[in-house]
Amino acid sequence: MSETHPTFVLSPGPHLHTEESTSKIMWWVNGSLAPAALWGVFVFGINAAFVILASIAGAVLTEFVSQKALGRRPTLMDGSAVCTGLLLALTVNPNLPAWQAFLGSMFAIGLGKMIFGGLGFNLFNPALLGRAFLMATFPLNMTSGWATPRPWFGVPLDAVTTATPLAVLKEQGFEAAVKLVSSPVGLWNALALGFRPGSIGEVSLLLVAIGGAALLARRIITLAIPLSVLAGVALSTLHTGVPMLHLMSGGFWIGAFYMATDYVTSPSTTRAQIAFGLMIGLLTGMIRVYGGYPEGICYAILIANAMAPALDLWFRPKRTAIAGSPS
Amino acid sequence: MTTATSSLHTFGRGGIHPGPHKEATASREIEDLPTPSEVVLPLLQHLGEPAEPCVKKGEMVRRGQKIAEGGKTGVPLHAPISGKIKPVDKRPHPTMAIAMSLAIGANVDAGPELEFPEDPEWRNLPLEESLSRVREAGIVGLGGAAFPTWRKLEFARAAKVDLLVMNGAECEPYLTSDYRVMLAYPTEIVEGSVLIAKIAGAKKVLIGVESDKPDAIEAIGKAAAALTDRSIPVEVVPCVARYPQGAEKQLVFAVSGRTVPARQLPSAVGVLVQNVATAQAVYDALRYRKPLLDRILTVTGPGIVQPRNVRAPLGASLADIVEFCGGIKPETHRMVAGGPMMGRSLPRLDVPLIKGMNGLVMLTGRGPLEDGFGACIRCGRCLDACPLGLEPDQVSVRVEVGRTLDCEPHGALDCYECGCCSYVCPSSRPLVQFMQVAKSALRRAAATRSAS
Repeated sequence: MSETHPTFVLSPGPHLHTEESTSKIMWWVNGSLAPAALWGVFVFGINAAFVILASIAGAVLTEFVSQKALGRRPTLMDGSAVCTGLLLALTVNPNLPAWQAFLGSMFAIGLGKMIFGGLGFNLFNPALLGRAFLMATFPLNMTSGWATPRPWFGVPLDAVTTATPLAVLKEQGFEAAVKLVSSPVGLWNALALGFRPGSIGEVSLLLVAIGGAALLARRIITLAIPLSVLAGVALSTLHTGVPMLHLMSGGFWIGAFYMATDYVTSPSTTRAQIAFGLMIGLLTGMIRVYGGYPEGICYAILIANAMAPALDLWFRPKRTAIAGSPS
Repeated sequence: MTTATSSLHTFGRGGIHPGPHKEATASREIEDLPTPSEVVLPLLQHLGEPAEPCVKKGEMVRRGQKIAEGGKTGVPLHAPISGKIKPVDKRPHPTMAIAMSLAIGANVDAGPELEFPEDPEWRNLPLEESLSRVREAGIVGLGGAAFPTWRKLEFARAAKVDLLVMNGAECEPYLTSDYRVMLAYPTEIVEGSVLIAKIAGAKKVLIGVESDKPDAIEAIGKAAAALTDRSIPVEVVPCVARYPQGAEKQLVFAVSGRTVPARQLPSAVGVLVQNVATAQAVYDALRYRKPLLDRILTVTGPGIVQPRNVRAPLGASLADIVEFCGGIKPETHRMVAGGPMMGRSLPRLDVPLIKGMNGLVMLTGRGPLEDGFGACIRCGRCLDACPLGLEPDQVSVRVEVGRTLDCEPHGALDCYECGCCSYVCPSSRPLVQFMQVAKSALRRAAATRSAS
């Protein structure tokens, strides 16, 4: 009799599962970055596109080759290698030679991620490790010769602007920085719309913010880290009198919304995330004001990454009930 | 937050909102399964010792007649159909694969169901008599745990509980059997609750029902208002529809504000929790001396042809029950006994219905773990989902590298396996099972320590 009955697959519970998955999350992150990336190509020209493509190709190829070499299941479709490549490209000079971007993302994936065991096991944000590698290896290409943005609807920009607003702020002060970006579209317009020198993805704060808002709305990230990074930067640059310029410039927004919120390298509990974000913000301000670099968020995040596992153990979730103590 | 939700009760942190999936059966009344040709009654379908058969092979028994004794810790079994006893033998069991079972072949010569006349003194029974009727009726917790109810009531009395919380939350997706029982038998549930409260020594009854069942809240509320015996106040507490609202600890906090300590029972804070269906059974046992003979369960899911709420004699084959519901669709892939969050998947249909089985959910599509699982990406969703504030992520990565004994600080021993963490994990990690592995390793280690 039992032969006539169908049999069923046995599986452990729970037998329902959310529709959310790691690859969906990663592709959402990639998709939310696309407007800023395309805008970067529009503003800075075709080399920016080469940089983005080379960086993604380097990341994807390195992941594929190392997974093959280690006999692991290839996981390219989870979108995380593409994400690292894209993020790295968005944080570099649009004039960077494409092969250097390729090398940078090879480093990012190879020594930033796969050597630790792949997705989920890396301690540091791979894209930022790649950026740090490029800063050390090709410092000139990374920090000078910034691409000139395309003219603002026919009005040519000052052709000698080859430094970023933050670099000018650091070298020549606030007035010069304002002068650099304020003509002809106005300072805040330039910062928001991206008609100013800068990295490929960081120039338009508006598009980065829209991407970040999409991730917030989709509940992929929460405001805990971005807001505390913002608070930290504001606190540590308040005495310079130009915190707004700091908050509206540099890779701050990409850093706060995309790099610092990277699941793998950030803490998981809200209280730990606030501590983590504040640490990043304060370090960023300190590096920008007192350190040797005009931009500081890259190193601030990398330093804080090292603290993430410890922060998770220091700021643990509150138990709703403790064993053996009736309330 | 609107005033409508802020007036509702619920537990503190965590929890999830899986799709309710209750619409297929919520509006369907309880339907009776036609008497099956055979029932199979495993001697062990509760927590405790197996029942001891007290009938012989070939004997004719009538529906309601006792066929096995409960012993010191178990409960007796009764014939759910009239018929002829088949020899005790090893037969398929839903959760134990194979177990010693009695079987009865339906036979009209055995006679009709036993009569269960009302005992006019049912409201004023002495404590010992009440407990003995609950015990003799073979009642176990009908919410799924199947712990003998008489023992739970004895414990509760010894622990001097002052509050009875009735569980009508039914937070499991898909299931509607408790809901239909609340609509069909509100008076029996309320009267049964008062009887349980008296046995346990509780001074008050709170009935927790999720707010997505407004008509059940109304029906129970009316029945409570119509009570003639006012010695114990009975109150309906509408709760937020949120999983795991019906988990004992979460429900106790929601309706009474008391926090049950980790690893302890609600009796630690003076509370006894009982399922609404159990109250109906207790009512039948005390008023009519009627034993537990049938089980009301929801047969549903995308894989069933006609989803229904079914009352079936205990021991009926799941195949017969599924047949009554139009059979399964060819794409049915998994079958879950109980709710899909905490229920167990079963491999085959030729097993009997047992006392604790409140639902049968036929699922299509691949299961959460069939395509393997990924590494922890430390997204923290499990931390947000855990109603206890445990750390499934930390436990899982430790278990993966064999450090099971390091999991205690992260809550492995406190977990009651509601499944919220596994549900939300984007890497489809079996977090509940990691918790189970850590828990059993820690318990083994503790046992070894205390033995040496």
